[in-house]
Amino acid sequence: MRVPSQAELQERKRVQIGIETTSNAQSTDFPGHWPGENHEWNLDYIKENLNVKFHTSTPFDSEFSLIGIDTSVANAFRRILLAEIPTLAIETVFIYQNTSVMQDEVLAHRLGLIPLQASRRGLNWMKWYQKPTEEDEGSGAPSDYNCAILRLNVKCEWQEGGLQRAARGETDPDKLYVNHSIYARDLQWQAIGKQAEMFADGPIQAVNPDILIMKLRPGQEIELLMHAMKGIGQDHAKFSPVATASYRLLPTIDIMKPIIGADAKKFARCFPKGVIRLDSVTSEEASELDCKENEVKAVVANPMRDTVSRECLRHAEFKDKVKLGRVRDHFIFRIESTGQWESEDLFLESVKLLKVKCQRMRRGLDAMMN
Amino acid sequence: MSTYTTAGAQQQQQQQSSMAHDASSSTDERARFVEYSCGDCDAPVSLKRGEPIRCRSCGHRVLYKKRTHRMVQFEAR
Ligand SMILES: [Zn+2]
Repeated sequence: MRVPSQAELQERKRVQIGIETTSNAQSTDFPGHWPGENHEWNLDYIKENLNVKFHTSTPFDSEFSLIGIDTSVANAFRRILLAEIPTLAIETVFIYQNTSVMQDEVLAHRLGLIPLQASRRGLNWMKWYQKPTEEDEGSGAPSDYNCAILRLNVKCEWQEGGLQRAARGETDPDKLYVNHSIYARDLQWQAIGKQAEMFADGPIQAVNPDILIMKLRPGQEIELLMHAMKGIGQDHAKFSPVATASYRLLPTIDIMKPIIGADAKKFARCFPKGVIRLDSVTSEEASELDCKENEVKAVVANPMRDTVSRECLRHAEFKDKVKLGRVRDHFIFRIESTGQWESEDLFLESVKLLKVKCQRMRRGLDAMMN
Repeated sequence: MSTYTTAGAQQQQQQQSSMAHDASSSTDERARFVEYSCGDCDAPVSLKRGEPIRCRSCGHRVLYKKRTHRMVQFEAR
C-alpha cells in the first residue's frame, strides 16, 4: 500500500487562493480517491490527529482551533450551536395595559428578544413546553417545570415640581419624570411551585440589565405578564444561545522568494498588523540573498490574524513571490454566547447533541435491518 | 386567558388564585364609570352615562377615552 509523504499530505489539505480563484477546496481523504491508499474512517486515526487549541477564553466569548476534522463535522457543530441548543426566552406576553407610544406587538417582540439568565441547575431542570392540541383536551398547560412567569408594571409620572421645571424650559427627562425609561432590569420574575427551590442559586433575570425596552412620558403606563419557555433557534432566533458562532479556516502565507528592503515594508502593509514581521538580514544571509547586511526581510509572524484580503497579489512585485492558502482541516471557531450558557459549555453541548443524533440514527438503522 | 397549573394540588390552588387577576373585584364599583382624560389639561375624568361630556377642572369639552384594562395575548415573535 502506498503511503504518501507528510509534505504531500500537507499539500493536499491546502486550499489554494489565487487573485480571483480558489482551488483544491474539496477534501480528498475518503476511500477510493487516491489509488492504492487507505483512507477508511478510523477512530484511532481521529484520536491521534484531533487537536483543540484555545486562543481566547472568556465566559461569553471564546476562540479556539479545532484541527484535524472534516468540514462536515465542524459545520454540524456550528449549525447545532446556532439552532439546536435550547435556551429560555419570553414566548407569550399578556398585555393588560399599554398606553405608551409603542404598539403591543412591537413591545411583545422586543421582550422576546431579551436574553435571560438563570441558575444552570434550574435551566437544566426545566422541560419543553408543548403547545395545546385539539385532540388532547387540557394539553399544553403551562406549569412550573416548563414556564416561568415574569411581570412588568411601570407607570411614568411627573416628578415633584417637574411640571414647573418643564414650563421653565427644562428638557432633561431625568429632572422631569419618574420611570421615563423601562430597562431589562425592570422585569420581575415570580417563582412558581418548585422553581423557588430549583432556581435558588440564580434567579431568572435579564443578562444585560441595561437594555432599554421603551420610553414613557407622564400618564403612560405598562402592565403586562410574560411567560418564558424553553425553545431552540430552529423555531425562533431569540432561542439561539449564541450571538453568533462561526469558523474560518487558518490562512497560510508562503513566501517563495525573499522579499527585502522597501518591498518588505510594502508587503507588510498589505496585511493586517502583526501578520508580517520585518527581520534584519544577518551577515551570512546577506551573501546568499544578494543584499546588504541589516536590510529588512519580510517574515510571516502570525498568519492567523490575516483576513485573506489578497491585497498582496494585486502588486506585480509580489505576485510570484508569495502563495496564499488556507488549511482545510484547521477550523478557528469563535463562539459568542448571549449569556445563558458559557461559550465553552455551548461547544461541549453541541458535541453532545451531535452524539445523541448519531445514536438516534443508528437505532433507526438497526430497526430497519431487523 | 391561560390558566397555570403545577404538579402539586396545593400549589395548583395557590397558582390559580394568584393568576386570576384582580380585575373582577375592582370592576364592580367602577363598572358604571368610564375613564377619560381631558384634551386640554390632561386631568383624569370619569363619567357616568348621561353626564355632560366636560372636564371637571377646566371645562374643556374634548375628552379622550382611555384604553380599557382588558388583557390581550401576544406571541413574542
Ligand atoms: Zn381639563
